[in-house]
Amino acid sequence: MDTPMSHSELEELAAGYVLGALEPDDEHAFQRHLEDCPTCQATVRELEAVVGELAYSAPPVDPPDTVWAGIRRQIKPEARRGAVPGPASTAARQGGAPQAAPGTLPGQAAGGRGLRLLPGLAAAAAIFLVVVLSLWNLNLRDENAVYRNRLATLERAAQLANDPTASLVALNDNPDAPPGAQAAVIASTREDRGVLLVEHLPPLQRGRVYELWGIPAGTNPATSAERAAVFVPLRRTGTQTVQFEVPIQPTTVFAITDEPAPNGSEKPTTQPLLTGSAGTA
Amino acid sequence: MRGKAYRGLRDGELVELVAQKDAGALEVLYERYGRAAYSLARRILTEETLAQDVVQEVFLSLWRDARRFDAGRGTVATYLLSMTHHRAVDVVRREENLRRWRTSDEGLELEADPKVRVEDEVLTSERRAEVRSALQELPAAQREALLLAYFGGYTQREVAALVGVPLGTVKTRMAAGMRKMKEALRDAGREEQQPWTRQ
Repeated sequence: MDTPMSHSELEELAAGYVLGALEPDDEHAFQRHLEDCPTCQATVRELEAVVGELAYSAPPVDPPDTVWAGIRRQIKPEARRGAVPGPASTAARQGGAPQAAPGTLPGQAAGGRGLRLLPGLAAAAAIFLVVVLSLWNLNLRDENAVYRNRLATLERAAQLANDPTASLVALNDNPDAPPGAQAAVIASTREDRGVLLVEHLPPLQRGRVYELWGIPAGTNPATSAERAAVFVPLRRTGTQTVQFEVPIQPTTVFAITDEPAPNGSEKPTTQPLLTGSAGTA
Repeated sequence: MRGKAYRGLRDGELVELVAQKDAGALEVLYERYGRAAYSLARRILTEETLAQDVVQEVFLSLWRDARRFDAGRGTVATYLLSMTHHRAVDVVRREENLRRWRTSDEGLELEADPKVRVEDEVLTSERRAEVRSALQELPAAQREALLLAYFGGYTQREVAALVGVPLGTVKTRMAAGMRKMKEALRDAGREEQQPWTRQ
């Protein structure tokens, strides 16, 4: 293609190029020409769109589930933590909700419930945060490390409030919860992170801490619970916020248990004080 | 993020999430285009396992290097289906035994559209009907040249040999066929307009 080509010749090459039908020498020559020819670049873009349409003339065939399963298996090591979807679509088609396993927590039996994306969550969370701020009466100019840490937590909560994927989960499923104790979680399934907002938890005995867990629905918490955060309740009145990271799935159950200080336990060792699952906020 | 939250996103936004190794975003793209990609791969390769491999390679390629997608060059659908086509053609050329040395009358004519599954999106069905209609409107020789190249994976020279016409004639037929397809799809309001991809 050393000699200049006519418009019709280039158009023919462009058509063959997008169809993948050029002979190797023609293809290489056209690619070289394409690099410096905006007109042909535009032509190729237009024809590529047409070729994309041709795909739809193929008789439709559903891919077997094994295709996505194979993709999922290969992406899993690289996927952001907790971001590998299961065969959810297949389960949905089969109407298969996970069965509750023995040892499930209060509120966990309805394991199939998904994390609801609450309408107006962002606004509700923002209002909640204003309340939190007023309760804390933070002096934003205070350079004290404790307050800086709390401020970072609030900033994190505010970010989650603006996350359209964040869900608000109230930990109010346990009928035997300590009187007055309240907790809620703002959880981002996109980021596998969240903020716990808790107040009026009973004082702990010496050498004990509270531990927040993320538990896949329908599983045994004794073996499947994932540590989210360890914290001690505030001595003063007010809402306490705790940042955490844990794999968050649509059906994740959150629970708070009383565990040994200072680092809590690998798995829950006591009955939960508060639990909450999707859609109960 | 799961389910509805992903499904409300545009294709381009999903690709950006895939670039951040968000598996849920890839899953939704697969839900949108996996079927079209697999249908195309099956049409070219016929052998089921090879078609499955191609589709997996396409989506894994997007996963590994989503930044290669250039929104300025076309839609995500075009990108994925074009990649599917290239890879399937590569396979069919590599696996000589798969090549169906046949004339256009033996199978590359448009087949009857099988029963559309209930959950098939209406717009996708309309889209298929429009593309097939546009192909049917082409002169038979142009349609034959396009389909042999696109679904058969034949080069222009091979098409010329199969059909028994000079190479120059095949080139002209392909170019004319593509031009008419472009016009027909534009008239149908489809070219570069993919409302179901929400781009």
